[in-house]
Amino acid sequence: MSALGGKAAGGDSINPVGTVVGLVIILVSIGITAVLGSSLVIPLIGIIVGGALIAFGVHFVPVGGAPAAMGQAPGIATGVAMLAAGAGLAGLFGGAWAFETTGDFLISIIGGAVGGGLMMAITCLMVNATYVFAMGIPAASGKIAKDPITGDTFPEYKSQGTEGHGLPFISFVGGVIGGLIAGLGGTIIYIELLDAYSTGLATLMQAKPEAIAPLAISLAGIFAIGFFLVNAVLAAYNITGTIEGPHDPKFKRVPRAIIGCAVASAFCGLISLLLVTNIGM
Amino acid sequence: MTAKMEASEGKMPHNKLLTYGLVIAVVGTYLTYLNVLTGVAVFSFFGGIAAVAAIWWGSDTIKHLCSYGLGTGVPSAGMIAFGSGAIAMIVGTKFGIASPIVTVILAAILGAVIGYTANNIINMNIPVMIMSLMELAIVGALTMLGFASMATGSFEFNQLIIGSMSLSVENAGAAAGGAQTFLVTAIPQYGNSLIGGAALAVIFFLGALALQHPFNACLGPNESQDRTLMLALSCGFLSMIVVAVISLVFLGLLAGVINLVISLIAWFYCYKTYIDLSKRDAYAWLDSKPIIEVGGDQ
Amino acid sequence: MEEIVLGIGITALAGALATVAGAAEDTESDIGSQGDPNSQVQLAPQMGYIHRIFNKAVSGEPPAYGLWCAIGAGVAWAFLQLNYNPALAIILGSIVAVFVQGIYCTSGYLGRTASLAKFKQPVYIDILKSLTSVTMAHAFVAIFCTTAVCYLMSAALHHPFALPLLGLIWGIALGAAGSASGNPFYGKERQYQNQKFGAGVPISASGNIVRYAEAGQRSSLDNGWFTTKFAGPASGICFGLIVFLELWRTVLFEKALAGWGAVIAGIVLILVFTFIDRWIEVWGRKTYGPYTEPEETSS
Repeated sequence: MSALGGKAAGGDSINPVGTVVGLVIILVSIGITAVLGSSLVIPLIGIIVGGALIAFGVHFVPVGGAPAAMGQAPGIATGVAMLAAGAGLAGLFGGAWAFETTGDFLISIIGGAVGGGLMMAITCLMVNATYVFAMGIPAASGKIAKDPITGDTFPEYKSQGTEGHGLPFISFVGGVIGGLIAGLGGTIIYIELLDAYSTGLATLMQAKPEAIAPLAISLAGIFAIGFFLVNAVLAAYNITGTIEGPHDPKFKRVPRAIIGCAVASAFCGLISLLLVTNIGM
Repeated sequence: MTAKMEASEGKMPHNKLLTYGLVIAVVGTYLTYLNVLTGVAVFSFFGGIAAVAAIWWGSDTIKHLCSYGLGTGVPSAGMIAFGSGAIAMIVGTKFGIASPIVTVILAAILGAVIGYTANNIINMNIPVMIMSLMELAIVGALTMLGFASMATGSFEFNQLIIGSMSLSVENAGAAAGGAQTFLVTAIPQYGNSLIGGAALAVIFFLGALALQHPFNACLGPNESQDRTLMLALSCGFLSMIVVAVISLVFLGLLAGVINLVISLIAWFYCYKTYIDLSKRDAYAWLDSKPIIEVGGDQ
Repeated sequence: MEEIVLGIGITALAGALATVAGAAEDTESDIGSQGDPNSQVQLAPQMGYIHRIFNKAVSGEPPAYGLWCAIGAGVAWAFLQLNYNPALAIILGSIVAVFVQGIYCTSGYLGRTASLAKFKQPVYIDILKSLTSVTMAHAFVAIFCTTAVCYLMSAALHHPFALPLLGLIWGIALGAAGSASGNPFYGKERQYQNQKFGAGVPISASGNIVRYAEAGQRSSLDNGWFTTKFAGPASGICFGLIVFLELWRTVLFEKALAGWGAVIAGIVLILVFTFIDRWIEVWGRKTYGPYTEPEETSS
């Protein structure tokens, strides 16, 4: 039982001043990048879109935290940031591999999305298998009375003294969508960075692109994980604890997470793209 | 995953910790430059000490931040610290001799922007948020820089990305006499360097766990600052052992073994002291004794 | 053709290794009481229930296993650079990782338990002596298998990522899969064996974990014995399926339909799992039925 929930959250509203300052930070980041090198603007925009997608995706993932481990609340019994990271990085693995073999942007990002979705589909399935086959507990949501997809009703399936348990179908679908979107975002960031680094570093280091490839891949991979963690944790701060999926009232908070992660990604992206400019060295 | 967040009032003020941590971390990283000045790699261990100092300071920052109740547990703070720190650190290393200073500045700006985002756009409204995320980003960046310079003996980008040189033999065509001549050039290998081989990812997570573990492991009503900080030192030196093993690749046997011996001795001392402090703070220290019933409502 | 046959063989081997890794990971975390169920172990003394359960507070499982597997893969990578034999390098990497894991476990138990002095929870030092080695043994299996999977991906299937990066990614995925499928079984079914079967734990019962065993006092080893019956294999299947299908769809279909084959195979697999999940959910609802009578909350 977590005694942490929600203390720090300032409601569901959007802070207008903060949002405007955030948009200014995004525009300034794009502006500085354009001055440093016009070819870097597209990667930066890709990074911003990727960061916003990660924030969006994390909100879909049904995470119950500690109460879910006792069958006290629905969702997956682990932390929100790390579960999303697990799915997103599995997607990154698939996307990076697809980019290596096909070199096609569209196939790679969709391949990455499918990798994340597949990971979440298997994980959510095993959660339900554990609840139903090992613990004899049917799935029930605590936040809504009726599943919007299947029409199942929940109150009578909720055992007394709990807020629901298991993964209702809407949460399963939310988990898969979350994995898809988080995998998509992570892969976009990775490919954009890889693109910027493999050409940029080759010129900077005066080396052949083939020789620089392992370096560019590792750099883009480490940066992508860094971006992923920053965005996932910011989104988790927005959720404050647990969320059941797209039907949860907390899902209404998603716009400010998208703006926030876009701002953070824009600025992190600006810094990470400094690597291939002539500043320093 | 935690039941209750309670932080003790520290005996050592946070600003003092911040100053010591920052100064030791920057100076320690600079001391690895002795490698360049003297031409031997045996001074690399100063990088590890710099990283441990940063972790020591950061674990106190995490305590301040997490006592507000973020809703996501302590580990996420370590993740965001190193996520942003990694970005600042890799870019910071491009600035040659000024790298450690530039890394601190970049990380501070990055942390401030992320802190502002969390506080004012995501509406966390936690008074210490911006300052804490700034500190944590600097801690993350300095820890990674320290460990990276310990593993490779240098904090400069070129040294972190070039693993070894290989000889490339190209046919320069037949010379006038009919004999084949070859053009031999040295080509840097990027794939087996610290960054190119992604060994930096190990340092990334070594630091992230070492940063969040001390407070996460010691939280509770009887948390005491000296014990938590001793655990931070212990975790730092434990991470240093792993970095020392990796440094065998880049620094060779002598410097690698020096790294390993120093980190093992320092870790052992800190770990032993931590156990003694736990013994001091524990309600009782029992070996193979039954449950003491204090009378729960059963 | 030969390449694909080899690829399928590697994929099957990787899937099998991942299954072992998942099972070992979950058993390790349940014996050590890591992750979300540990909140109850932490809470129990505050409610007046002193216990002898391992309180291994080392973050959640995903970051922890991310680190262990990254160390395993990173040190293995280092020894490979020094021209060690791959099998030896992976074993040496896993040994270093397990050393770090064991130290983190002990410091987690000592730290949390010492901070609970106010609630009269003593430090039972024999728990550390008898159980740390058991968790380290299970962690070794998990780390060794995951590092081996990563090595296969990098060396045999030519994934572009370097070995340490793969170790980090799959370590996090291993922790996520293991904690997702294993935690409820340990957290509800074992810690709260005194509560009704087939229902969630009422919030009022929080902290009243089972502390006595069939004979004597419950040790965390008993928890491992219990969770290996279902949660361990379930986590193993979960992680094994993730690794196997992720590789399988790429190895077999990446060249089909101009690269779209792997994507379509993935989508089909997601749909299949969605149908299985729906079937399980409906089966559960039909078989167990609604909770018609109000239940008594026992605490």
